[in-house]
Amino acid sequence: MTQTAHLDELREPVASDNQRLLVIGGLLMIASGMLFGDVFAMFVLHPNNARIGEAMYAASQLIPVGDADGILAEFMAIGGFLENRGTKVDTHSHIIHMGFIALLLAILQPWVALSDTARRRTAWLFVVSAMLMPPAIFAIYYVGLSFSPFEHIGWASILADLFGALLSLAVFIYFWGIWRYARGDADAAAEPAYLGRGNTASRALLVGGLLLLVIGYLYGAGYAALKETSVAPTEVDILKSIVTNAAASDQAALGADFSAFGEYQMYRAINRAVHTHINEMGILLLLMSFVQAFVHYADTTRLRWARCAVASGFALPAGIMLEIPYGIVGSVIADLAGFMMIVCLMAMLFGLLRHMGGTDMNAGGAA
Amino acid sequence: MIKAQKILILTALFLIATTMAFGVGYALFDEHQTLVGMGTLMATGFMEAAGGNMVSSFAALDSYGALAQEYGYEVHSHGHWGMLSLVLLILGLVFKQLALSEKQGLALAWLLALSTVLFPLGVLLQIGPAAALGKLLSVPASAGLILGLLIATWALLQKAD
Repeated sequence: MTQTAHLDELREPVASDNQRLLVIGGLLMIASGMLFGDVFAMFVLHPNNARIGEAMYAASQLIPVGDADGILAEFMAIGGFLENRGTKVDTHSHIIHMGFIALLLAILQPWVALSDTARRRTAWLFVVSAMLMPPAIFAIYYVGLSFSPFEHIGWASILADLFGALLSLAVFIYFWGIWRYARGDADAAAEPAYLGRGNTASRALLVGGLLLLVIGYLYGAGYAALKETSVAPTEVDILKSIVTNAAASDQAALGADFSAFGEYQMYRAINRAVHTHINEMGILLLLMSFVQAFVHYADTTRLRWARCAVASGFALPAGIMLEIPYGIVGSVIADLAGFMMIVCLMAMLFGLLRHMGGTDMNAGGAA
Repeated sequence: MIKAQKILILTALFLIATTMAFGVGYALFDEHQTLVGMGTLMATGFMEAAGGNMVSSFAALDSYGALAQEYGYEVHSHGHWGMLSLVLLILGLVFKQLALSEKQGLALAWLLALSTVLFPLGVLLQIGPAAALGKLLSVPASAGLILGLLIATWALLQKAD
């Protein structure tokens, strides 16, 4: 294939093996990434944050006695806690983003002007690398620098970077294929037909997704503007106050400093998480809207799952935001919403599989 | 595929591949060193205070703050290029469903593509000597993104109605 779009792939997003690989791989990655996020939030994030605060408080208590070695030991522990948290956040976000990209690449397939072999190999390269990179990121904390030839980077990091480079290569190949299509005698009318074939479920997801994206953009811009103009103490201001009051052994002031430090960290983490999750849920709903015509359920069932997904998409970031005034109640709402979104995704995946099974059976019957 | 779609889809794919390569290079050559540096500087701030040297302590904490901000800019650029490119791709796919003329569509595609390229670039440039230029780019580019998405949403809902 060169400059001609694949006709079957224009009719539906799961027509070819390449598309099926990307769609099924993508949905599995998104669902597993969300499940990982739920588990991580419940069992690692909150206990880990508490440990970081405790270790920093312990370090501050060693300032008046001049125990530099003890302080260093506490900060080594903090470094470990931060790496534990950071690698899990990265695992969660990367696997979901790779899932999003896989779904979009499936839709773009008819416009990739490369040979079938090249397209198939590139799809496999993308899916395999995308599935291996997050476990490699996850392993960074546990593998550490064991047997590493480098000072700062361990084997798990090296593997994660290798898979990242392969992913970049796969996307560049797709870019090249679509560039060739666009530069050739591209048929302007060749368009995935299903994108405009709306049903009530796809419309609910489309409107919900766009609304979330608009809210997410505004939230991010508002947060950035507030941060730029805020006169509240910065992280460094609070840290300076901590070391000053610790050196003076003023325990009351130190307690107030740690309270301010905890509040600062909480607001920052929650605002970032809200912004990120609003946008991610928006993108997810839009992607789900594209495939509704092929989710093999009755209209009412399909619409019910779509509404459930939209409600979960709004409830997840709302739950995270509610963590500020209500603490654990907000976390529970966010976790439940995340879990419901996973259930919706799985239901839609089953609907897609039913459609594929029906299509395959019809093709087999005709043969 | 119409011209506006070509602009959106090709820009998005190029940015995704580029930001993936940027992420790999950053992780290999900068991220780990930066994180170790941040930890060392914060610990130094506490240890100098334990030695009674508050001037050195504050200097170390200021350096920590600067390095943490740099780290934030780098990570945000990588993340924003990736996420905004996904939105470009989605809008590229549904572009024919927007109630816009060819000229309006082309203008919207350029606005979204340029804003997506320039906003994270502006954030990244805020590290180092071109910080003023970085702010000059990122503020209008973020406004361009919001405006572009609002227009696209409005145009999509118009057509759907």
